[in-house]
Amino acid sequence: MHDNGTGQPRLHPRLASIGLAGAVLGELMLAERVTVELASGQDRLHVLASDATGEPLTQNVLDQIVAEPQHPLHTWLLFFARTIYADLRSRMIAANLLHPPGRSLLKQQPAAPVDSNTAAWPRARLTLAIQRRRPPALRDCVLYGLCVATGCDQQALWEHDREFQAAATAILPVPFRRLVVQTEVAIGEVVISRR
Amino acid sequence: MSLTEQRPSAVSAALAEDRLGVPSVVFFVISAAAPLMVVAGSVPTAYAVTGVLGVPFAFLLLGAIFALFAVGYVTMARHVVNAGAFYAYATQGLGRTAGVATAWVALLAYNALQLGLYGIIGSAAEPLLRDWFGLSPAWWVIALVAWALTGVLGLLRVDVNGKVLSVLLVSEIAVVLLFDLGDLFNAAPSGVSFTGFSPGSLFVPGVGAALATVVAGFAGFESSVVFAEESKDRNRTVPVATYLGIAIIAILYAISAWAQTVPTGPDGVVKAATDQGTGFVFAQAADHLGSTVATLGSVLFMTSSIACMIAFHNTTARYIFALGRENVLPSVFGRTSARTAAPVAGSVLQTALGLIVIVVYAVLGLDPVTKLFFTFGAFGGLGLLALLAATSIAVIAYFARDSRGETAWRTRVAPALATLALFVIIGLTLMNFDTVLGVAPDSVLRWILPSLFVVAIVFGVVWARVLQATRPEVYANIGLGAQAVGGGRK
Repeated sequence: MHDNGTGQPRLHPRLASIGLAGAVLGELMLAERVTVELASGQDRLHVLASDATGEPLTQNVLDQIVAEPQHPLHTWLLFFARTIYADLRSRMIAANLLHPPGRSLLKQQPAAPVDSNTAAWPRARLTLAIQRRRPPALRDCVLYGLCVATGCDQQALWEHDREFQAAATAILPVPFRRLVVQTEVAIGEVVISRR
Repeated sequence: MSLTEQRPSAVSAALAEDRLGVPSVVFFVISAAAPLMVVAGSVPTAYAVTGVLGVPFAFLLLGAIFALFAVGYVTMARHVVNAGAFYAYATQGLGRTAGVATAWVALLAYNALQLGLYGIIGSAAEPLLRDWFGLSPAWWVIALVAWALTGVLGLLRVDVNGKVLSVLLVSEIAVVLLFDLGDLFNAAPSGVSFTGFSPGSLFVPGVGAALATVVAGFAGFESSVVFAEESKDRNRTVPVATYLGIAIIAILYAISAWAQTVPTGPDGVVKAATDQGTGFVFAQAADHLGSTVATLGSVLFMTSSIACMIAFHNTTARYIFALGRENVLPSVFGRTSARTAAPVAGSVLQTALGLIVIVVYAVLGLDPVTKLFFTFGAFGGLGLLALLAATSIAVIAYFARDSRGETAWRTRVAPALATLALFVIIGLTLMNFDTVLGVAPDSVLRWILPSLFVVAIVFGVVWARVLQATRPEVYANIGLGAQAVGGGRK
């Protein structure tokens, strides 16, 4: 989503925020804390285990879902998208993955990665998987799906193969597929919205 | 939101903070209607081209009919939420095939309204360029500059900022009212005449052409319902904003159209409007209020035209995007520019069409105001009328299956009356389409243009059938907009 050297964003902030909200929910799903279930005609988040995630950001997200389980996934994506960008940046700065954003005279500089190789690694894994036409591990499949849903793949990945993309999505378990689809819906709504 | 939700939710409360209230929605609605552009552009052109004096009455009449239409329309908005209201409602009420046909008609009508604006910008900017810089470029040079600006801003997804828009809009309305006062205090020697408000002055030969132009002046009021999901209170914000929008447009435009006839007297207005074109209103203002106010008006006329152009460009591009997301249009139109969040393909298509129209009109040497702005505007207005009529029928059909606790007035009586009235207006417009085009009554062109809508309907029906047969999963999601990719599940 951002340049691995400079930290310059590749995505419009509103799209990036929704993509990141999807990614954090994806993290919780991979950690088997929540899953997506169909309830009263809506895709809803269902909490599987509410034990500590060991990390404040995901813990906070999980706590909110536990407190108000009635919202559809769509609402959660919009809700978390409001704050997640700044929260994730703080988390990555705290984990020494990003430098604190510098300030030039006029505008705030983006937070640059501490190590551009670490930052480039997920993207490299995806690029490699696409080149070899071999679906990556579950975690990267989710990442790939979210990338495509936000339109980030057009910017960040070199190759675009619709068939492979469909195949990689098809091997995702249903809850993850719904996460990707709902992210795509939310992205579409941002584009249509006049604000 | 589910019915079981009892206690206040932190999540809903947080999301509600960003929602739109009545004033914001009204601003969005009226800004697309661009007051000064209508008052200085459409109204004098309507007087000049049609020779009908009843334009003020037409605004009031159509305002009433649209308010009647809105009764069923906003009721539908409580139950069906979608960004492309007309075709979503047609799909829900009349079926998916009708929905696709409606979508194609809407695409044609909105494109016509947007493209017609390139015809007015030249005459809006030229007097200013002449006064300030002594330049007098051809209309198409100015149109191309505006075209490039709109195209680039469309790709960057720069909507005219809400605050800028409100300032522009409020000043526009203020200037229009000031012009009206100037007119009223400078009545013709024969005294103030209220001819413009008498029905008799409207129902004369050419009435249909006048009505079509007036309809185009209202274009944009229907966009209120697309804010349903983004509004603070779906049951209240959208209806209030819709009625308020219609009322403001109808009354402001009716008074202004009438005020223009006061200094010349009803007998002189057609000649004066024909001689001076879009300069008519500003010439009057310069006489009554001095050149500073007139120049201020001219500047706002230009900004109003540009803002309207950008608004229509983006609306149409988003509409194309929604159809692309549903695969009703090729899926390439459903793609986003990740960097700017703009509906790229739809925007580029709009820009390309704009270039073609400007070049064709420039090469053929056709008059931009009467042949492009007015003709496209009236053509788009006709399409809009057809869409409103189809939507009214869809509302009746939708609630006939299940009234969902709504009253008979909202679900049956008002929509039926609106449908009837809309069909009468469509009939009148078709009868006078030769006047709209400025061609001889036996010219084939008067039938060719309206039949484009028939072609769009046929094309839509065929396309829907093809989708149904070859891609049933796409057909099943028609009418869902951005949610089509999610199968309509929230």
